[in-house]
Amino acid sequence: MKNHLEKLRIDHNWTQQELADRAHVSRQTIISLERGRYNPSIMLAFRLARIFEREIEEIFIYDEEEDYE
Amino acid sequence: MNNSAKWIRKQYRTGWAFLITGGLVAIAGALLPVWISATTFNTRIVTGVGIFLIGVGLSYLIRYRAARREPLTGARMANEANDERSRMLRARAGNRAYWVSTALAYGGLMWVSFAANGSLPHLSEDALWYFLAAVVIIPFGVYAIGLTREEERE
Repeated sequence: MKNHLEKLRIDHNWTQQELADRAHVSRQTIISLERGRYNPSIMLAFRLARIFEREIEEIFIYDEEEDYE
Repeated sequence: MNNSAKWIRKQYRTGWAFLITGGLVAIAGALLPVWISATTFNTRIVTGVGIFLIGVGLSYLIRYRAARREPLTGARMANEANDERSRMLRARAGNRAYWVSTALAYGGLMWVSFAANGSLPHLSEDALWYFLAAVVIIPFGVYAIGLTREEERE
């Protein structure tokens, strides 16, 4: 799943570790999320949305075709 | 109490539980030959298990100490331990190791069954020991390799 996490994080001037600390996950998870290699649970998606004060859909882009692949 | 504090407390409790259990098992292993003069097995095996448990307990307490000394490190260690992605990877690797372990145990069971009716040779005590050791070690190896590969892929 594509997302705007990296852009949002850079806009906030946070390192991956800082974002990981705020989201209570490991830095490796943030790296995987930013690369689009890992899809977060709904709880983590909400947590990230709260951190950036955005809606989930503004951060994560659902691709129906990718879902059915 | 937040998740990080809960995790740190858990390290402390688990560490002491392992340490006390390990100490009791090690002492029991050392005293078994005194209590029972005709033990038919090497009681050092029991002492060894006790020492192993003491080691596990100490590792928990060292983690607890590091987490208490530096709160940020403690929070990161807790995040690492409770991280959903790491949990998923561990579960996947564990699932693979479980199936390998089941396959090995089933293979052993089949061998013993066929050996009983003469279709396969009987396993000697030494062969059985090595087989059981493999049943323990191979799934552990599968778990470790699986975890590394999943880490690289995800």
